[in-house]
Amino acid sequence: MSRISNLSLSHNQLRLAAFCMFILSISGCATSKSVQTAPPFPVHREPVLREKEIERNRFTVAQGEDVIGRPAVVRIEKDDTLPDIARHFSLGIKEISAANPKVDVWVPEAGERVVLPLSFILPDAPRKGIVVNLASMRLFQYKEDGTSLSVTTYPVGIGTDERPTPTGRMHVVRKAARPTWHVPSSIAADHRKKGDILPKTVPPGPENPLGEYALYLNKGSYLIHGTNKPASIGLTATNGCLRLYPENIKALFDDTPVKTPVLIVDQPYLVGQRNGVLYLEAHGPADESGALESEKLHKKLRAIEKQAARAIDWKKVKEVQAEARGIPVPIFESGRGTEMEAAKPVEVEHPETLYGKPEIPALKLHAWYVLAADVRDRIEARRLAAIINHQGPQIPARVFEKSESYRVIAGPFNDGGEAKEAAKRLKIDLEIDGIVIEPDKNG
Amino acid sequence: MKKSLLLIAMVLILPTLMIGCATTGQLEKVQAEQKMIDAKADQAMKDAQAAKAAADAARVKADETSARAENAIKAAAEMEKAAAERERVAAEKERAAAEREKAAAEKATVSDEKAKKAEAAFEKSMKK
Repeated sequence: MSRISNLSLSHNQLRLAAFCMFILSISGCATSKSVQTAPPFPVHREPVLREKEIERNRFTVAQGEDVIGRPAVVRIEKDDTLPDIARHFSLGIKEISAANPKVDVWVPEAGERVVLPLSFILPDAPRKGIVVNLASMRLFQYKEDGTSLSVTTYPVGIGTDERPTPTGRMHVVRKAARPTWHVPSSIAADHRKKGDILPKTVPPGPENPLGEYALYLNKGSYLIHGTNKPASIGLTATNGCLRLYPENIKALFDDTPVKTPVLIVDQPYLVGQRNGVLYLEAHGPADESGALESEKLHKKLRAIEKQAARAIDWKKVKEVQAEARGIPVPIFESGRGTEMEAAKPVEVEHPETLYGKPEIPALKLHAWYVLAADVRDRIEARRLAAIINHQGPQIPARVFEKSESYRVIAGPFNDGGEAKEAAKRLKIDLEIDGIVIEPDKNG
Repeated sequence: MKKSLLLIAMVLILPTLMIGCATTGQLEKVQAEQKMIDAKADQAMKDAQAAKAAADAARVKADETSARAENAIKAAAEMEKAAAERERVAAEKERAAAEREKAAAEKATVSDEKAKKAEAAFEKSMKK
């Protein structure tokens, strides 16, 4: 009996051992499979903390602190452009291109890591109502809730050198949803010179450059409004108005009562502190006022240095000014780990779809097209197609690869009128002599 | 007469004898001299042979050295030629690399200019 029981025990042990080996062999297979399917990109040895989302608009302002948000990085995917990345993360084009000076705006390489400058130093101005800093092309809307202060920030498009956005104190006098654009005579004259006759008024719709919402200021005929050219946010492209992304103007419109004070400043150098660390954020000064602004900055920093009894890294200051990347950089002489930590960006996962990225409709056989260009360089063709795609309203465009050249084709268009209108816009806006391609009559 | 004959005979025989004696001595002397000369000749021959052998050996060495020198000169010339060739190839490569670099720089400049031009056109197109 005991022999039988012993035998039965060893039999069970054998079965257990066989089961264990089976389990081990399964995990072995899984391991080898995971090795085979490893991504083609170099894998970081350090565990990288990737975040799905990052705060981009609304921040709490801690008592006595001036720096909000934190910089991030995202990996570029095929067919992304910097304007697409910028819009998704609520950044302007100049902001993202200044932070990534070596990255091609329209044809960045897939796999490249792009810095998202989502950390900002608040302008040196009262934290009340709306403050716009023209140098950083950013609007800050302050809200006080009892004891805490919050700020919502949006990138803006501003006026050109010829028609700059005025600085100073103003306030919102009225608001309008779906505004009608009364074409100013100066703009009508500009368009007329280019052979583009504008109507006296443009009703709400895709052709209206004011977009869906407008806040009218008490000064002249200046407005804070939306746009039908979202890719212009972060550029000097307006006639003095302030433009916001369509999604941002909606939020600002809903959250801004009439009589809200608006202060417009122009501060290329911003100094602020957070957690005892002093930061400097520099934006390329737009004009010859650069030297004066630089002098003002140095005076301010010397005063801070004296008061804090701590040395400033002047070499770093010079570097930050020269690079003008628009990112807050710690400028106290190093020696504390927090400073390094403060400058470290967080890695953000690439979203499945980029908000507002222009979609290109599928090709249609019996449609109209416009041949925009026939070039030998692939990058040039891709850049041009991307620029055409980012017009407002969008003109869909794609690159056709030929044996020795690359063709940029705009379309499809439903009829000849649409195609001719697109060709006209290409000529007026981009000085491109497009060739209208009729549908195949035999098809 | 007898006496005279004897005297005459003595006068003739004695010198003759004396002459005979003198010839034998001389012969011995000559023979000795001959031997000496022979030995000297032998020695001279040996010396000459040794000198010839030494000269031969020296010539062989000289030939060998000359051949080696020639080889060394040839090798040096080869090396020099190879070095010159290498130098030429390196110079060629350098020139080609410089040309490539120049072409790349030109291409980059052209590309940059095109990008800037496109950027300016885009910015202009974004106005109202």
